[in-house]
Amino acid sequence: MTERDEIDVLAGEYVLGTLDAAERAAADAARRRNPALEAAIVAWEARLQPLADAVAPVEAPSPLQGKVAAMLPVAQLAPRLALERYALRWRRAAIAASALAACLLLAIAVRELSPRPAGATYVAVLQKDDASPAFLLTVDLDTRVLNVRPVAAGSTAGKSYQLWIAMENQGGVPQSLGLIETPGAVTQRPLARFDRASVERATFGISLEPAGGSPTGRPTGPAFHARLIRTAG
Amino acid sequence: MVARAEVARAPVRGLSRLAAVRPAAPSLVFLLERTAAEDRTAFSALYAATSAKLYGIILRILRRRDIADEILQEVYVQIWERAAYYDAAKGAPITWMVAIARNRALDEVRRKSPISIEDTPEVMSMSGEEEHPLDRVAKSQELARLNGCLEALDSNRRELVLLAYREGMSREALGRRFSRPPATIKSWLRRSLLQLRDCLGHDRA
Repeated sequence: MTERDEIDVLAGEYVLGTLDAAERAAADAARRRNPALEAAIVAWEARLQPLADAVAPVEAPSPLQGKVAAMLPVAQLAPRLALERYALRWRRAAIAASALAACLLLAIAVRELSPRPAGATYVAVLQKDDASPAFLLTVDLDTRVLNVRPVAAGSTAGKSYQLWIAMENQGGVPQSLGLIETPGAVTQRPLARFDRASVERATFGISLEPAGGSPTGRPTGPAFHARLIRTAG
Repeated sequence: MVARAEVARAPVRGLSRLAAVRPAAPSLVFLLERTAAEDRTAFSALYAATSAKLYGIILRILRRRDIADEILQEVYVQIWERAAYYDAAKGAPITWMVAIARNRALDEVRRKSPISIEDTPEVMSMSGEEEHPLDRVAKSQELARLNGCLEALDSNRRELVLLAYREGMSREALGRRFSRPPATIKSWLRRSLLQLRDCLGHDRA
């Protein structure tokens, strides 16, 4: 065995998990000193990642009581993964969409598991791609108050970001929720005029419009959108 | 049925006229970046997007929900603390997060007395049934490639690798499983790893 082989076997056993406690501890220390070992470990992690991807997901416990809860914005938050249904839905949407713009999109819906008087908060992320402006959107379904917080959204000279909502029971036509005034600040919008179920199923969008908003009352500029998805079960 | 589908798509179409849409995976980079900046909303979105996957992996290794729950919490505390050190050049966010989860679970399972062999389920087929549909789309090529290389190993070596990676079995547990001394298991692992590496390529960092 060459030295390279020795390193690759040690790294491979480390990633597989077959080292005993003492060997693991030694490897943990060695990888910090030895870039070749570190690189070999990272290479094995990538090689074997498909095996991790093939392990069935299991719904995780609510972070409500745990250490993680302290880091979350809403203590009652009990997120559930809705990516699967979401991805299928948006793949259909992508097929339906015209080729006018190429936008990336991420939307993640989280919801409270147990009904509570307050705090039924949903989160969605509206973003074109990793290098683009992004907006974190939260909706409290009980009070029907929406907050949009731009992150990494620089000022756009002569342009305005405009917020939209589109609901099935109103023909899916986007309605303006107004402009996002200042990048960096939280914009709050009441949604009380819409009923809870409609908001839960609505599509939210943000488009870049001429200063002062869309002249037509419909999105005219590059848009990205997300949906608060009700998870199954 | 057709009519319902049309209604369901209508709002999407309203906005989609302006936007082609792609799957979610790339934005885990964004959520990690925001987490590094201590953005709690982004962190909760990251938890929502990834916790089921990490929990499934941890639970498979640790078997016990009470322990797995605790370890999952610790894993997300680590992700929160170490998000700034995530280096996109070294791999996908989910690979980085899976490594944190597996390492923490393996440290735990090695620290404890070995899990009884009676607890060990049969190694499961790698074909379709276990895959998450979302992963299947994005990962099918990589999985097919790895599968091809695993198929090239002797059948018990393939099982050895899968049991080690997915169930977190130690050399001793594997030795009992295959009725061989740990030293033999070690040499099987060595040869299997080198064969896999040569099949998959040296440079996949």
